[in-house]
Amino acid sequence: MKLEIHPEKCTGCRICQIFCSYKHENAIWLDMARLSIRNESDDGPFEPSHCRQCDDAPCAAACPVDAIAQDPASVAWVVAVEECIACGSCVDACPFDAIFLDEDRGFAIKCDLCGGQPECAEMCPTAAIVLVE
Amino acid sequence: MFPYRAYAGKYLFVDLTEGRIESREMDAKLAETYLGGNGFGTRLLWDNVGPDVDPLSPENWLIFATGPLCGTLLPNSGRFEVVGKSPLTGIYGDANSGGFFGPELKFAGWDAVVVTGESPHPVFLAISGEQVELRDAGALWGQTTSQTETSIRREWGDPGVMVVTIGPAGENGVRFASIQATPQRSLGRCGLGAVMGSKRLKAIAVRGHGPVQIADPGRFLEVSKAMHRNIRGDAVFPAVSQYGTPGIVSLMDPLGRFPTKNYQMGSFPEVDQINAESLQARALVRHLACFGCPVGCDKLYTLCGGPYDGTSLRSVEYETLNSMGANIWNADLDAILAANRICDELGMDTISAGRVISFAMELWQEEILNLEDTGGLRMEWGDVDIALDLLNKIAYRQGFGELLGEGVRRAAEVIGRGSEQYAMHVKGMEIAAQDGRAQKSMGLAHATSNRGADHLKAFPVIDETGFPDEGRRRYGEAYLPEIVNPIETKHKPFLVKDGEDFGAIIDSVGVCKSGGSFVLAEVYWDDIAAALESGTGMEMPVERLKQIGERIYNLQRCYNVLHGITRADDRLPRRFLEEPSPSGNAKGQVVELDLMLDGYYTLRGWDVETGKPTPEKLRELGLEEVLERLERQGVGPRG
Repeated sequence: MKLEIHPEKCTGCRICQIFCSYKHENAIWLDMARLSIRNESDDGPFEPSHCRQCDDAPCAAACPVDAIAQDPASVAWVVAVEECIACGSCVDACPFDAIFLDEDRGFAIKCDLCGGQPECAEMCPTAAIVLVE
Repeated sequence: MFPYRAYAGKYLFVDLTEGRIESREMDAKLAETYLGGNGFGTRLLWDNVGPDVDPLSPENWLIFATGPLCGTLLPNSGRFEVVGKSPLTGIYGDANSGGFFGPELKFAGWDAVVVTGESPHPVFLAISGEQVELRDAGALWGQTTSQTETSIRREWGDPGVMVVTIGPAGENGVRFASIQATPQRSLGRCGLGAVMGSKRLKAIAVRGHGPVQIADPGRFLEVSKAMHRNIRGDAVFPAVSQYGTPGIVSLMDPLGRFPTKNYQMGSFPEVDQINAESLQARALVRHLACFGCPVGCDKLYTLCGGPYDGTSLRSVEYETLNSMGANIWNADLDAILAANRICDELGMDTISAGRVISFAMELWQEEILNLEDTGGLRMEWGDVDIALDLLNKIAYRQGFGELLGEGVRRAAEVIGRGSEQYAMHVKGMEIAAQDGRAQKSMGLAHATSNRGADHLKAFPVIDETGFPDEGRRRYGEAYLPEIVNPIETKHKPFLVKDGEDFGAIIDSVGVCKSGGSFVLAEVYWDDIAAALESGTGMEMPVERLKQIGERIYNLQRCYNVLHGITRADDRLPRRFLEEPSPSGNAKGQVVELDLMLDGYYTLRGWDVETGKPTPEKLRELGLEEVLERLERQGVGPRG
């Protein structure tokens, strides 16, 4: 399963980021959202930027401690935070800027497709983000 | 230690005279009795800005406040409030905005910014999380609102900075100057932009990176998702989402509720040229939304070709399509957008700005004004060039614009010659784009609103066109059919009182009246109580929440009573009371104001003779000290 993005439908409301951060942090914390919204200006156009869950995941290939592995159920590439050494190799390797470091807590953060039921797709009011099999 | 979640737990206190910035802890007792936002600001105004304070003096306070649910999972939880004494009305004043500033302030770790004093030179307040400083705004002074926002972001090097700012109108003390908030949202009413200007505070810019913590994350998620689901599933949702507030232009006109020529009429023959369909066909670029809003009533509009080619703006609302359209007998949609853009850039309320122009046009029609009065302007109905020129003159206080920048009440006092009867205001504030003759609840709402003629305090939308399903869902079968009939007076005191109290809560927690709580009518007392309880951890039975709403509204009223307001001020212009409407469904109707006021005061527990809250009501709301102060000042409830 993957997220499919229809940027022309995005209104810039940030509901995807709000619910994403809440799912993972139990708080509304936009800086920790696993997806970002790119925009030329406040008036858009907007483009949700997300992890493609690449078949050949450059982030996982670049990880020196094999802390990124694919979850067979959701097919999402997931960071094992207890193994991650926050070296940033994955961040450099990702062609989509879809992974970032939380330096305070010392690990990399990326989309895990919420284990198979992504909040962003569920809550997006305009179907700018949809889940496809 | 502040015990409640969802709040940041502290606020900024800024004394501009001394250049002093303090971090102050939120008071738990204050949160329990007034929540935040509107309630927080009302209480601070009551405590700190007495009746002798001139609104444009350093002693006035300006309170920018988020609420506990601002910046959370709740639908459209991007709203924040500004409260201060209004230079337009001289009494309680507030304005409210969506966008992204409110949540950003919370993410930066602050529930509110409280400003007092007067800086010796122009400054702006820069808030980067815990780092807060006053910076020189000498180079920003004189800039338009979008220029200011762009300049601050460029200097800061971060496009994520959110800004509230005034334009030249606020700097120049126009009494209906707005405060504009990222992205092009307006804190329009009450002239609080002029208060910012008088303090030489050009802007507040904020960037935050922190979390908003929730007391009971599981339950809060459940409550929030149910609200999103209900709003998105509402039968009216697709229309509101597609058209936003302009969608009601076509609905209001046949009712005779679309003010035309300064309320001489309630329908506009060329309404089809300025309705939502025409607007979207002409200029729609894309749909936009405020923070966390599934409705997305905001749109980007751009004009291609024509005399205003390239004009680009968002938030073109029903109110402006009326005030700069039918109200001044103008069917040129492009000119409306141009006027809207000028008001946004120069920082003026489009409602009051349109109303001072229509006031002058009617005075011209009645030959009360001559060319000498107007500085050579022939104030003919529908002359958009003159209207656009006047908007600039108002903002820069030039020529005839200087007088109109004082608002219709003061302008009529200066002009005299019987002009007062054409000054369409209540308590000094120009009336919004409704007509009480066509919708009786709005007539009452305009008369009783604590900030002067205003639809948004009570916001009675249930009976606008008649929404029986919404009426039944919200109030029950017992109130039907009268409560949803716009020209029926029965149950309207109840509708207005309930709306005022609930609206005070909506403006205090930080969500939107157009995104479910009033428009769509999907979110009501029990939903907000559940969200507050699970979000903050504060015990919040529905009855307690209702009492908080009532307390806030009563304290605003007491603040006005302190300034001499009584039943005699809860009046509508003569036109609504004596001139039957010539238009549409309202034909032949006037507003039966006294009848509704009697019912309203009785329902409120206010004295029917004086319109003041009774001692019993104030004691019931825990406002004994308020009662004592009113009596000490000689304006007590029995006085």
